[in-house]
Amino acid sequence: MYTVAKYVLTQQLRGVRRYPLVLMLEPLFRCNLACAGCGKIQYPDHILDKHLTPEQCWAAADECGAPIVSIPGGEPLIHPRMPEIVHGLVERKKYVYVCTNAILLERKLDEYTPSKYLTFSIHMDGLRDEHDLAVCRDGVYEVAVKAIREALRRGHRVTTNTTLFDDANPERVRRFFDEMMALGVEGMMISPGYSYQKAPDQKNFLKRNRTRELFAKILGNRKRGWRFNQSPLFLEFLMGRRDYQCTPWGNPTYNVFGWQKPCYLLQDGYATTFKELMDGTEWDRYGTGRNEKCADCMVHCGYEASAVADTFGSWSGFGRTVKVTLMPNAGESVKRETVGAGRGEADRYSVR
Amino acid sequence: MRRSALDVEKRTGTPSAERRRLIADILEPPAAHPAHLDMTDSKYHTPEHTRLEGRTFRPSTPAELAEAVELAFDYRGDITVALTSGERIVGYLFNREATGPRPTLQLYPESGGMRQIAYAEVASIAFSGEDTASGKSWEAWVTKKESERRAEAQRAEADARARGHL
Repeated sequence: MYTVAKYVLTQQLRGVRRYPLVLMLEPLFRCNLACAGCGKIQYPDHILDKHLTPEQCWAAADECGAPIVSIPGGEPLIHPRMPEIVHGLVERKKYVYVCTNAILLERKLDEYTPSKYLTFSIHMDGLRDEHDLAVCRDGVYEVAVKAIREALRRGHRVTTNTTLFDDANPERVRRFFDEMMALGVEGMMISPGYSYQKAPDQKNFLKRNRTRELFAKILGNRKRGWRFNQSPLFLEFLMGRRDYQCTPWGNPTYNVFGWQKPCYLLQDGYATTFKELMDGTEWDRYGTGRNEKCADCMVHCGYEASAVADTFGSWSGFGRTVKVTLMPNAGESVKRETVGAGRGEADRYSVR
Repeated sequence: MRRSALDVEKRTGTPSAERRRLIADILEPPAAHPAHLDMTDSKYHTPEHTRLEGRTFRPSTPAELAEAVELAFDYRGDITVALTSGERIVGYLFNREATGPRPTLQLYPESGGMRQIAYAEVASIAFSGEDTASGKSWEAWVTKKESERRAEAQRAEADARARGHL
């Protein structure tokens, strides 16, 4: 938290209007699952076989400058040089989140040294039935739970990340939170379904109002023991208590094609350098009310940045954050406010 | 005129009637008709009435060429680009710069490396590779018979195992 706060405040004091907080680093698209809701893996084999080199990954992190690096994919643990990539990022004092389905985690744990800079963020889409259905393979939930236990036993930082679609059952999601906290994970991250432009699952994406209703049911009357590894104001946003405009530059994405325009979800083209991405993207074309593709999106990669900008943009924003952190169930009657495009990114990723 | 049709699509997320006519006008019919083209799944930019796999664009104007490149950019399979020099390149089109004095496309050839090709060098674009996003929707998954789902999951698992990823 301190690192994020320092970074954001420094950017603001320097008058930087747009800056990244989380680099989304996709070193490969190949996965060992074939989830029906995922739009990241539909490529010809020769594209799926492409990997970013460690040097490319480090150069992207250096060029971008974000204090946090999230490594999704594809399945990052498939990458033969992932330990080297992670080691180099940790050496640079980047807070690294390896987003994995955990199928290979237990086998690969020896290759990673526990560090405050390294967190395994485990993809868990619900209780056993929901998760195994979501990933289109039986038994994956149990494998992931076993790997989480082993990673925790070895002293690694472990969080979960959960994507919820409109068929989510709020009561079962709440039970799922109980189970994850009982496992001992450091925190949970949740987000509505991704609105991938090219995902095969277009019809299942949550509409904005349904998203708010769903998350209000899930997060209302929140249990004290639940810990979320994301901005408290972003959770308020998901519940419909606040409105934000998108901050698409908050989570810039780098992969085998280059720097993705404009965000982690949309593919409108690629830039060769981070500067070209920031200077050459028509940012005003994106966000709620500006682009049809963004109409129903409430995903963390665009809106947590806005929530963090709200937190650190003013004393009142900071006060709101403190209030909802200490009293998450006190905001039932708060009127919804709209805050302009964020200027930073989120503390979705806890930093200590 | 045709650029505005594309703009409508970009705003609304669906091809305009004009653009559908345009696509129908400049597309050649598929050389073959693979069985999986009969599936009803659709993608954001390639709904079933404009399914591209197996088809070839032979644009006759810069506007048609720009349309063809946009469709190829959105396509999740390999394409075959025939150049005016007679060269043919099979690969995945991952980027394009449609504006400026010399519009170019970028492609990862199946054989390796990366190629940057000026629009002016393109004679035709064939959607020759499998559309890897077709027929893989969540709805299709849940409506399949249990035995079909199991078989598909087993195939994916066997593929991952064969690659040493499990």
